[in-house]
Amino acid sequence: MEQILANGVYLGSQYAMIALGLTLIFALMNVLNFAHGQMYVIGGFVTYTFYGQLGVPFVLALLMSCISLAILGALIEKFLFAPVIKGSKREESTMLLAAGIAFLLDALILLIFGEKQRGVPKIIDGVFNWDFRVIMPYDRILICVLAILSIICFICFMQYSKTGRALRALAQDRTAAQLMGVNVDRYSMIGFALGAMLAGLVGGLLVTITGINLGMGGPTSIKAFMMVMIGGAGVISGAIAGGIILGFMEAIGLAVLSQYGDITYLLIFVSLMIFLAIRPQGLMGKPWG
Amino acid sequence: MENITKRQLFNVGLFLFSIFIAVPLIISATGRWDFYFTLTSVALLAIASAGVWLTFYIGRINIGQGAFALIGAYVSAILVVKGGISFWISLPAAGIFAAIVAIFIGMLVLRLRGVYFAMITLVLTQVVTLTALALPITNGAKGISSIPLPSGVSLFGIPILPDFATMANTKLAFYYTACILMVLTYAALYRLVNSRLGHLCRSMQQNEELASSIGVNIAHIRIVIFAISSFFGGIGGAMFGSIAQSVYPSSFQVADSVNFMLNCFLGGLGYVFGPMLGTLVLYFGWDLLFELGKYQMLVYSIILIAVIRFLPNGLLSLQFGKGARK
Amino acid sequence: MSPLLQVKNVTKRYGGLTANNNISFDVAENEILSVIGPNGAGKSTLFKMISSFVPTTSGEVLYRGERISNNKPHIVARKGIVRTFQETTIFKSMTVRESVIVAQHLRAKASLAGYFWGSRAAKADVAAFGQYADELLEFLGMSEISSELASNLPQGNLRALGIAIGLATDPKVLLLDEPFAGMNHDETMRMVDLVRSVRDERGVTVLLVEHDMPAVMTISDRILVLNFGEKIAEGTPSEIQNNDKVIEAYLGSSDDEIGM
Repeated sequence: MEQILANGVYLGSQYAMIALGLTLIFALMNVLNFAHGQMYVIGGFVTYTFYGQLGVPFVLALLMSCISLAILGALIEKFLFAPVIKGSKREESTMLLAAGIAFLLDALILLIFGEKQRGVPKIIDGVFNWDFRVIMPYDRILICVLAILSIICFICFMQYSKTGRALRALAQDRTAAQLMGVNVDRYSMIGFALGAMLAGLVGGLLVTITGINLGMGGPTSIKAFMMVMIGGAGVISGAIAGGIILGFMEAIGLAVLSQYGDITYLLIFVSLMIFLAIRPQGLMGKPWG
Repeated sequence: MENITKRQLFNVGLFLFSIFIAVPLIISATGRWDFYFTLTSVALLAIASAGVWLTFYIGRINIGQGAFALIGAYVSAILVVKGGISFWISLPAAGIFAAIVAIFIGMLVLRLRGVYFAMITLVLTQVVTLTALALPITNGAKGISSIPLPSGVSLFGIPILPDFATMANTKLAFYYTACILMVLTYAALYRLVNSRLGHLCRSMQQNEELASSIGVNIAHIRIVIFAISSFFGGIGGAMFGSIAQSVYPSSFQVADSVNFMLNCFLGGLGYVFGPMLGTLVLYFGWDLLFELGKYQMLVYSIILIAVIRFLPNGLLSLQFGKGARK
Repeated sequence: MSPLLQVKNVTKRYGGLTANNNISFDVAENEILSVIGPNGAGKSTLFKMISSFVPTTSGEVLYRGERISNNKPHIVARKGIVRTFQETTIFKSMTVRESVIVAQHLRAKASLAGYFWGSRAAKADVAAFGQYADELLEFLGMSEISSELASNLPQGNLRALGIAIGLATDPKVLLLDEPFAGMNHDETMRMVDLVRSVRDERGVTVLLVEHDMPAVMTISDRILVLNFGEKIAEGTPSEIQNNDKVIEAYLGSSDDEIGM
């Protein structure tokens, strides 16, 4: 029981961070970023390159992941999403564009980093063992703590900094924010960069534990979509709630259902469908339609 | 709208002539037998894309067709391999099973709109893949392989369909089968869109509230359309499995679902025959880029992004502009 | 004679907010009844409950003695109680004629499958729909714009299109949502005549929600006044004009809802 709880917290904190980036981009520009998982993978590979191959300290490598993803996100927003959003009236166009970008990033990852599974040396050795009730390697605990700290930093940033406030205004009402003098184009770019950066940060954190490979992008996006649907799209608290709920469901499912084969996700999906039939806007989302 | 003009009739005739007579002639003249496989794939993917297009027609972005294609492929494979049933019975069974699954799922999720529906259907694709890996009946990651070729069918001793296993040229036989199925699918789609149901779909696509105020049972029609759409997906998938003679959980994945959606968008959502063109262009484009080796994906995605960036209304919007809205 | 439509003790609460509190009234056949009241008085909510677009919290709506509230909108529409919307709710990329044809789908005699295969009944339906659409548009004076796309129409015509779509369903009761909003005096008077002829020539009972007081006074047989979700008065236009509570409600509200 305690073990499941610990696993749930560990998974949930990672997932919440992934969902946060996705939901931020969605809230700001109404774009469903299919490429979110690919951004996560790139973050993992950047940390792998700097920390695993070049021997740069882990924290610096993590920083490099954040910076490269932020730059990538900003470029994608400025040169692809912004013009497409301006030029077309349908919301589908941005979805297609996001799919195209997911393919593009996959291709780039393949060319630059190859298709092999990559791992890095452990950042700390040893296993925490509490009477065999909770067993967890120290590096997982560290990553979990780092993830929770990053989430707290992100929330504080959104709550108290000038940029964060502008972003929230933008998410709430684009036109109103514009009237209040928020530079919409600039903050859209910043918001997208921030969302991409979060994906990169998780990728960098998790590469120390699960390693990274090309194929992890798609499934990561899918999990992020599920979390966003559970919590309600475009809401920060919803993303965190969704992440934690999915993390716990997965932890419980793996513990309880492992003897029946891997049907955890089928059950999670069925419950998600039933939940959405009752509450289409998710836990914290605003009602619509 | 109801009356088919002579010009349209001529176009349809020309199209049928080219796929059933001209293409086989050209292929046998040039000896590029591999084109049969490409074109057969295009025809089958176009069937599944037609289903996706139909869900767009009621205003839902469907990224779940890969799931139904996979379901169809497995149903047919299991019936043929484990049940010993003729492929020609398993084919409609696969479509119907996919449609039944769609009805259950649709009852729960069709209320969702926009990106929400898109997300849940995308997740569905992943979940079906994972389920195929986990269930005993689907044989996990090993999948179902060495599926026998479709057997012959005879009614009262008169052969109607030949036994594919005894044929000298199964590629041609599969090509014809796929083309016939595709023609039937698009003929049905065309009729459907231009019939009362199609008008009701359009009314829902444009305004669900107003549609229900004039007495349209929107929940009912949504489910019917989603079931038909998934039927097409199941048929396409089952046929694919039969040609490949194998089905794996990876036969249809998230990327395939996304591609079905792209086929529709690229062809143009305003045109019944859009998804067919979109499939042809995307699949052939992908195939032609094969020469580029490891840069294939890169160039493909860059072209894709460029098309979306500069042609937001699809390929058919280029040539025909206004008049040919079908 | 029992009334055509009965609203019985209908209440609607959204969370802690009461949009309609215990409202009852009857509508007689062939009547034009207007519901008026300041902004936020609960007029639209009342309409939505009658057409079953939202469920009631308590109370019920009866049509010919049969309960129609807390149902599905399309079922209520099929019984002949049809609402119109304000102008933005249209089929944007259909022409006027197409919209009116689609709206006739309840009259169809052939099945959906019949349409698919092109049965004789389906062909007869298609012809009948087209003919009736032309008739109806002629009646509404919209023949000239019948092949215009709905999204290209000016505001005034959109309102008429909404009514045309509603009428095409062959309703017994038509609920009109602010049919005169944003119209100048001449346009309003033309619309008043139109609504009257809908009642007189087609035998349709009309319920309308409206702000424009002069138009309401001209058109209505009876008027129902709501304020803060409560019914404060009901009666003929002259009775309403001299009702102290009504005058107070309108003078009490700071904005110029009264429009006189």
